[in-house]
Amino acid sequence: MGRVITVTSGKGGVGKTTTTANLGTALAMRGARVAVVDADIGLRNLDVVMGLENRIVYDLVDVVEGRARLRQALIKDKRLPELCLLPAAQTRDKDAVNAQQMIDLTNQLRAEFDYVLIDSPAGIEAGFRNAIAGADEVIIVTTPEVSAVRDADRIVGLVEAAEKGPASLVINRIKPRLVSRGEMLSVEDVLELLAISLLGIVPEDETIVIATNRGEAAVYDPSSLAGRAYINIAQRLAGEDVPVMAIPDQQGMLDRLLGLFGRRRT
Amino acid sequence: MSDLISIKGGRDGLRLRLDASAAWPDLLSWLDQHLSERRGFFHGASLVIDLGEREVSPAQLDEILTLMRQHGVQATAVDSSERVTRAAARSAGLAARPLPRYTGSVAAGEPEALLVIRTLRSGQVLRHTGHITLIGDVNPGAEIIAGGSVVVWGRLRGMVHAGALGDSNAIICALELTPTQLRIADLIARAPERNEVRRPEFARVVAGEIVVDGWEAFKR
Ligand SMILES: Nc1ncnc2c1ncn2[C@@H]1O[C@H](COP(=O)(O)OP(=O)(O)OP(=O)(O)O)[C@@H](O)[C@H]1O
Ligand SMILES: [Mg+2]
Repeated sequence: MGRVITVTSGKGGVGKTTTTANLGTALAMRGARVAVVDADIGLRNLDVVMGLENRIVYDLVDVVEGRARLRQALIKDKRLPELCLLPAAQTRDKDAVNAQQMIDLTNQLRAEFDYVLIDSPAGIEAGFRNAIAGADEVIIVTTPEVSAVRDADRIVGLVEAAEKGPASLVINRIKPRLVSRGEMLSVEDVLELLAISLLGIVPEDETIVIATNRGEAAVYDPSSLAGRAYINIAQRLAGEDVPVMAIPDQQGMLDRLLGLFGRRRT
Repeated sequence: MSDLISIKGGRDGLRLRLDASAAWPDLLSWLDQHLSERRGFFHGASLVIDLGEREVSPAQLDEILTLMRQHGVQATAVDSSERVTRAAARSAGLAARPLPRYTGSVAAGEPEALLVIRTLRSGQVLRHTGHITLIGDVNPGAEIIAGGSVVVWGRLRGMVHAGALGDSNAIICALELTPTQLRIADLIARAPERNEVRRPEFARVVAGEIVVDGWEAFKR
């Protein structure tokens, strides 16, 4: 029986879809059977991030309403045969499915995959509740910004109330240089407030933007920091006893080097 | 306060008890006054209405629900020993629960203190007519509203309203008192901008103002 894991956040745009696509890919690269499900109905984009948009025939709502069988709607990844996507409907709104239908759907998927990753819409409305309805575990994504962390705190409370907790945390778009200058919340600051376990951290990295535009996950490029970060998170999710990856402060290193040269010159 | 109405808080929330023999219009006007005088406490609250052995028609129940809604108060259930009253509650979409018949009038005792052990997160509200002790943090965006005093064994970063039923002798204390806002009775204070405090402090009303002091000052 597979694990159903919902990736969610309070604030929008913090990296849920990026996290779902990269974790799904990283887990499949390890040989696991993975289904990624786009539960952001009406605003689908997991298919675009994974470069599978042009292969969509049926979507999640078609399956729920019985117009297609699950097998017909699942799209195989371009490279990894063990990775499948269940896309969201673009033309329907989020009232098109209810919580019970999501539970039934995740039960079907759980029987056939090792991991079922659900990309949730942002917020605390019905779409969020549907996305966590069938979950065994919840991953909350936040950026190290005060407003995003505040909204993540709200979500932690709701996840606990729905008895889907304890949730684990991914902190995305960390800029080590700002943190070391005290201009961005540090990982410790965020953890002190949210008081949940840290699954992993992901640096701000333009590889994400480039990979997203190409429709390829960043984990295919293990030389990229973000790619390595997501591989680390996948290892930890799979139960490997590895520490959270440290993010090198590249600019800080450069500063120190320049400092060295400076000192030499005097 | 009239003894026709009593509002008590317990672990399972607030309970509004209405005297079963008083005239209905009197009860409504007392309730109206009671809720408007304690707006700070009741706004946003939900409670159980205990109608005892009074027979209440759907029209009467509607009156009381409308009145409560005007004060930002929501009913979650109706308790009554009378079938007529329970039927009215169910047709208004509320849970209805039977109660043993009461003898004598409504007793208004000293409210109990409440002990809660958890992190209070953004969007969560803890509300009680008596004192509240929370073991855990009050995060930004979370609220505690108490009729009595509030003790936070943790970091207080959200909002606390003590003495919310009018008691200006209520105090607020916390291991780390860095709230977004504090209220005692009808007074409001914003937290001053200051460097991180890491010692227990308490807030009380002195000469019509909320004053924060180190815990040692309490002994005086
Ligand atoms: N670590 C990162 N470094 C750089 N850019 C990033 C990073 N993570 C996400 N982004 C960018 O941020 C944007 C939002 O990311 P994404 O779509 O994954 O967020 P989301 O939480 O799914 O948003 P929504 O709430 O709209 O569904 C995208 O353009 C993405 O490329
Ligand atoms: Mg998204």
